Amino acid sequence: MNDWQMKSPLDWETYVNKRVKVAAAEKNEYEGWALTVDPVSANVVLANFPENGRVSIVVVLGHAVQEVDVLQEADDEMKARLSCIFAPEESKAYSP
Amino acid sequence: SSPRFQALLGTGAAGGGHPKTSSPPQAARAALRLRYLRSLGAMRGLPVSFTLHEGGRVGAVVAAADAPPLAFQVDALRTPLGLQAAALLRCSDIIAYAFEM
Repeated sequence: MNDWQMKSPLDWETYVNKRVKVAAAEKNEYEGWALTVDPVSANVVLANFPENGRVSIVVVLGHAVQEVDVLQEADDEMKARLSCIFAPEESKAYSP
Repeated sequence: SSPRFQALLGTGAAGGGHPKTSSPPQAARAALRLRYLRSLGAMRGLPVSFTLHEGGRVGAVVAAADAPPLAFQVDALRTPLGLQAAALLRCSDIIAYAFEM
């Protein structure tokens, strides 16, 4: 197990809702807003918002994570946007 | 000796008895895991691009994953050797996967 997989859920939680850069195995690098870290596999779920209006999700597997750097903290608007990406249909907020 | 068992053990030792489900580490685990499971659910039926070790890249439509997850069951796996109607991808072979929704 690598250092990332050995962290505790409270450690992983500190990365949620932050823009992070993940250095992975074989010199792969990924950047995005951290949505969650799976506490079982340590997989990191990143979200990006490309111009086409869709949501681009990248998941880096825990065993391949070498380093995670925090780049930026999300503002309230971004936090709300991130929280509804995987929300079930019935709990989605609708504008009046 | 799994991370899940160690986390459970840590909570139990701190509480001096049965682990409390509402303790901070357990609440954090539950919230993180819930979001991850929802991401797995959202991925079902979508075309997903996998980055594998040794520079391999394949695309497939994800049909199912097991619980940890240790493997993905995929359909229409596009490989350099051709198209596989159905296949299992081991997570230990994958560095990252990406999809749009």
